[in-house]
Amino acid sequence: MRNSAKLNQLRRGRSELENHVIDEFVGGHITRREFLRRGSIIGLSVPLLGAIASACGGANSTASSGGSAAAAKAGSSLKIASVVPTGAINPLSIADEGGLTMLQQTGETLVFNNPKTNVLEPVLATSWKSNPAGDVWTFTLRNGVTFNNGQPMTADDVVYSFQSQTNPKVYVNASSVFTGVLTNDGVEKVDDSTVAFHLNGPNGNFPYLISSDNYNMVIVPKDTDFDKWEKTFVGTGPFVMKSYQPKVGATFAPSPHYWGGNVLPSELQFIFYPTQQPQILALQAGNVDIVNLIVPQGAEAVINNPSYNLLVSKSSQHRELSMRCDQAPWDNKLVRQAMALSLDRPGIINALYKQYAQLGNDNVFAPIFRSTDTSVPQRTQNNSKDKQLLSHAGHTNGFSTQLYTEDYQEIPQYAQIIKQAASAIGINIDLHVQSQADYYGDAVFGKSNWLDGAMSLVDYGHRGVPNVFLEAPLESDGSWNAAHFKNSIYDGLVKSYVSALDLSSQRNYAGQLERLMLDETPLILAYWFDSISVTKKNIAGVVTTGMGQIYLNRAGLT
Amino acid sequence: MSATAAPIEPSGAVDAGSASTLRREVWRELRHSRSFLIGMTIVLVWTVCAVAGYHIGPYTPFEQNLNAVNTAPSGSHWFGTDQVGRDVFSRVIAGARSVMLVAFAATLLGTILGTVLGLITGYLRGWVDESLSRLIDALLALPVVVTAVLVVAALGPSSITVALCIGVIFAPLIARTVRTAVIQERELDYITAARLRDERGSYIMFSELLPNVMPPIMVEFTVRLGYAIFTVASLSFLGLGIQLPTPDWGLDISQNISVVSAGYWWEVLFAAAAIASLVIGINLVADAIEKAME
Repeated sequence: MRNSAKLNQLRRGRSELENHVIDEFVGGHITRREFLRRGSIIGLSVPLLGAIASACGGANSTASSGGSAAAAKAGSSLKIASVVPTGAINPLSIADEGGLTMLQQTGETLVFNNPKTNVLEPVLATSWKSNPAGDVWTFTLRNGVTFNNGQPMTADDVVYSFQSQTNPKVYVNASSVFTGVLTNDGVEKVDDSTVAFHLNGPNGNFPYLISSDNYNMVIVPKDTDFDKWEKTFVGTGPFVMKSYQPKVGATFAPSPHYWGGNVLPSELQFIFYPTQQPQILALQAGNVDIVNLIVPQGAEAVINNPSYNLLVSKSSQHRELSMRCDQAPWDNKLVRQAMALSLDRPGIINALYKQYAQLGNDNVFAPIFRSTDTSVPQRTQNNSKDKQLLSHAGHTNGFSTQLYTEDYQEIPQYAQIIKQAASAIGINIDLHVQSQADYYGDAVFGKSNWLDGAMSLVDYGHRGVPNVFLEAPLESDGSWNAAHFKNSIYDGLVKSYVSALDLSSQRNYAGQLERLMLDETPLILAYWFDSISVTKKNIAGVVTTGMGQIYLNRAGLT
Repeated sequence: MSATAAPIEPSGAVDAGSASTLRREVWRELRHSRSFLIGMTIVLVWTVCAVAGYHIGPYTPFEQNLNAVNTAPSGSHWFGTDQVGRDVFSRVIAGARSVMLVAFAATLLGTILGTVLGLITGYLRGWVDESLSRLIDALLALPVVVTAVLVVAALGPSSITVALCIGVIFAPLIARTVRTAVIQERELDYITAARLRDERGSYIMFSELLPNVMPPIMVEFTVRLGYAIFTVASLSFLGLGIQLPTPDWGLDISQNISVVSAGYWWEVLFAAAAIASLVIGINLVADAIEKAME
């Protein structure tokens, strides 16, 4: 039953935007789960969200951060199998799974995107709010946070971290998030415990962009030399680095300065492996306790084995097959559509992911995003229309092209499926499966097979909102625009989507974007897959994210 | 001494008649060699597969069935299917082509280069022999696979690069064998006679010496062919040879080894067995030829 008096009391003093979200929930336009998620974005505190939900007749509880720590004992020494970081552990440049796993052991972001609920939770920031326009966001910092070297965290450290990650003079991986959103002069220290972000324009999802989804955006001490960060791993996280040996492994001990309470494990030992197979074997042999992020292919022995815990969460991880929209023959959208129609998507999912993936529809709106317009028709294989489109495009006899991709997880198999499907309609693909280092190159245009290849198949990690997927790989000036897609209507719709503050507007723009992408097909996105990690049965308290982070401060043997 | 003295008759040289006799004797020996017959049968089977493997398999090596991935050996798929639903039997048959072609080309190249080097060093001796032999010694100190990995990684993976690389690496090994044989031959009378006839060095090396050192070269060729197959498969396994999705034993093992722990042993075992059988077949042939030559 609704408690109107309490509700009015709770509404009092809220901003127009906050009351708009509350009204959407009260009016039944969004679900309780979505209310928690939207409320967390705009900075409504978790207790307040619970109280509002309660006043509306819902249960007064919010989702937990996931992972049961109740049964985990303190003092465990845990061994974790992880993929080898491809380069130096530099918060500015890390762009790979192995690297971000290392970064995250001692580094923390202002907010955390809970993988179970997709709700933002406070970490180094305790609260946040935007101005009514949504272009200035103010974050209140947590008091009493200390880096693992004993130095207190201040607003200056936060400002320095953000200004470094938005520095236009050096290559920073986070430019994929911040380009067009935030510049380094937009980061302002308001007072010792408050930082404000003056954005280039309104952005309804900004807190997600600086959350754990943006794995580079850890807070480091002011004047940190990022090139030497690998020697210290200085951060505010629960652990302190004891040793780090590139290509071999790393060990971490509990940080005596951690602000977040007791750290259960006595030691973490990460062992690096080049591929999944030895990780699975190490788990089966008892040499490691946890394998972080696996794909079902080749992991059946542990996935279907009750002796192990499987940590599965829906995510927005996917693969993007881009086609150079600025070069023949891919500059003709009919050719791109033909390629997309040649794929047997349910078959691909069955072969590569079984029940752990969902169909993709050649747009970047994942099923888990609340803004996704699910009314857009699903593209399916059509073996007559694809040839017909090729013929209309003047390629009745097909053509030859190159596809570059990386030797990572199931991607080589997926690439072979693509090649075979293409050959059925007369497109002869010369396949180049390369090491990740060779494929990514310098990760800039002109020096990267990823960004320069006629066709390029790349992996994308999880994000809580589609902003990065919409911008970096597809906007005309996107830093990851491997498709070289330039479409002013698309750019305009993205800007509208990004600046929309309410869900119904976002969903409206999402629908338009989905239809445009389906028509233009700058890239093929055939499936979204779940995040899967695996532990021994006697391990509890492990929290993983779709992005690949693994939180172990509450983990241990049962 | 008379200027019209009778020419010195070649002694120890293989003339046309005796060469023919030798060939007949070797062939008779080989026909009665069980090792040769078994080895040759294996090699011939794989040669047929290399030539016609893309057409004689029950499926094409590229045909995928995404709804029948990782299926165990059965009546419809004798060797099961792989991770994208391809028939493993058809891929094993077709996979013979790439490995045999590259290994044969590499061994042939290595044999030609090694023979030329061996003839030059063994016949000329002196500073040419000294300097080239030291270079050969240095090259022999390099581990074959490690060197091949470095070279192929530097030049870029392709079948041609692999063949060239292995050929060049094998050349010093063959050169040393040929040099030893040439040093023994060059002291024989027929070489002295050729020198006295004022024959050119190249004529003596390639027309007089070469036919007489052919037996050890043939043995070396067959021995090296076995090593070449193993090296080619190793480089393919490391992703430095032929590229996906071409059927190739080493590459298929590399691609599917990740699923062995899941119980899909057939995706690796049959390709591995194919490599082993071909190497064994060639080694049996090499052993038989060596014995027959003796």
